[in-house]
Amino acid sequence: MKLYLYGIIDSSDRIKDSIYGLEGASVYNIPFCDIGAVVSEINQPIQGVTEGAVLEHEAVTEKLMAKFAVLPVRFQTIIDGRDNLLSMMQSYYKDFRNNLERLRNKIEFGIKVIWPSDKIKEHITNTYKKNDKKVSISDDSSNKRFMRDKFEKYELDEGFQAKADKFINVMDTFFSKFAAEKKLKKLKTEDMLLDAVYLVKKDDLDNFREAFEHIKSAHAAFKFLFSGPWPAYNFVILPKNSNLLKDSKQENLFDKVIQHQDLVGANKI
Amino acid sequence: MHDVAIKSKEVTLLEVLDRVLNKGVVVSGDIVISVADVDLIYLGLKVLLSSVETMEQLRAAPITGPMQEPK
Amino acid sequence: MTINRVVETDFPEEFIEEMGKTDDVLPKKIDANPENVEKGLAKLVLTLIELIRKLLEKQAMRRVEAGSLSEEEIERVGETLMKLENKMEELKQIFGLKDEELNLNLGPLGDLM
Repeated sequence: MKLYLYGIIDSSDRIKDSIYGLEGASVYNIPFCDIGAVVSEINQPIQGVTEGAVLEHEAVTEKLMAKFAVLPVRFQTIIDGRDNLLSMMQSYYKDFRNNLERLRNKIEFGIKVIWPSDKIKEHITNTYKKNDKKVSISDDSSNKRFMRDKFEKYELDEGFQAKADKFINVMDTFFSKFAAEKKLKKLKTEDMLLDAVYLVKKDDLDNFREAFEHIKSAHAAFKFLFSGPWPAYNFVILPKNSNLLKDSKQENLFDKVIQHQDLVGANKI
Repeated sequence: MHDVAIKSKEVTLLEVLDRVLNKGVVVSGDIVISVADVDLIYLGLKVLLSSVETMEQLRAAPITGPMQEPK
Repeated sequence: MTINRVVETDFPEEFIEEMGKTDDVLPKKIDANPENVEKGLAKLVLTLIELIRKLLEKQAMRRVEAGSLSEEEIERVGETLMKLENKMEELKQIFGLKDEELNLNLGPLGDLM
């Protein structure tokens, strides 16, 4: 029986609401100690990534988010049978529990900011031109001209980075007031000043939104994107490549070798 | 207004995709039958995103002329 | 309590464009062609050379900014940096590599350059 996994929740109870997932199948909770794996049975292999399937998957995690702490699972994670699912839960139990504790009653918001990088650069260049203290390199040789051009580019870049830092600092200070955790990406592209995710307590939802609106209105020349609430996709911390699953497979092979030796006599190696 | 609606749908989809394909819990090992192989379906996604737009346009377009009989 | 998820922006088109520029959401297709193994090695080596070259350039700029280079030194450094830059352009062309390709992704640390 193939089980499509949506998320891990902090409950071993039955899910009372009717939730439907991929293939219109019923979504239910498979308990393990005090947590659970939320799954639905799946028959057809998913034909790549489709808009429908992706949105269906996301809809399930959002419904779960309303009632439980959820660790959202990556799209198209299909486990081969209930036994394997339970052994997975056993392997990851501590990690799952720790994350659930940490993320309980917290939700994720995404904020992206686009700024007019061309105008910013123009402004910086003009400022440098006006600056009396500026460094001047004589241009009486091609090497010196090369250096002068390089230096101008360097000044522009330094100024650009400093401006970005300044703006991000202002914004982040505001948003962080209501955030337990955050992840910021500065200048993913020249125009994408900030790509950030914040982990906010459910109680602080309105305050956070207010902080966003304030920053938005204070930066009329910038373009903003606000998304959320999301389950904490960006804030689950798991050790990479848990070896527990690999070890368990090796253990089985080892057992099989021993069994084989027993059958053929221990002397024959 | 209609165009903005399509674009809004697209940006929403991108936000969802970024999360469900790249983030969240990753379970690995032999017990996992299938995990979205994102790299191989890249082209599929590009087509998918433009198809959202095409679909909206097709829905909006009026049907004129006689219906063709399927061959 | 039902919380309704939103993705709100007055500029969806601009964000779609920017998000498409990096391979975050839509990762680039892995080129599994074995012929490109050589290219892969060249990429790695040239990336490291680029890193060092850029660091040297930045160092030079810092000294210009601080005013600690004489006219003659500026002249000589300029000549060396220019030669280095031209050499790199040559190598890039020989291996058919673009600027954007000469970078390393360090996972959570972001890109090298």
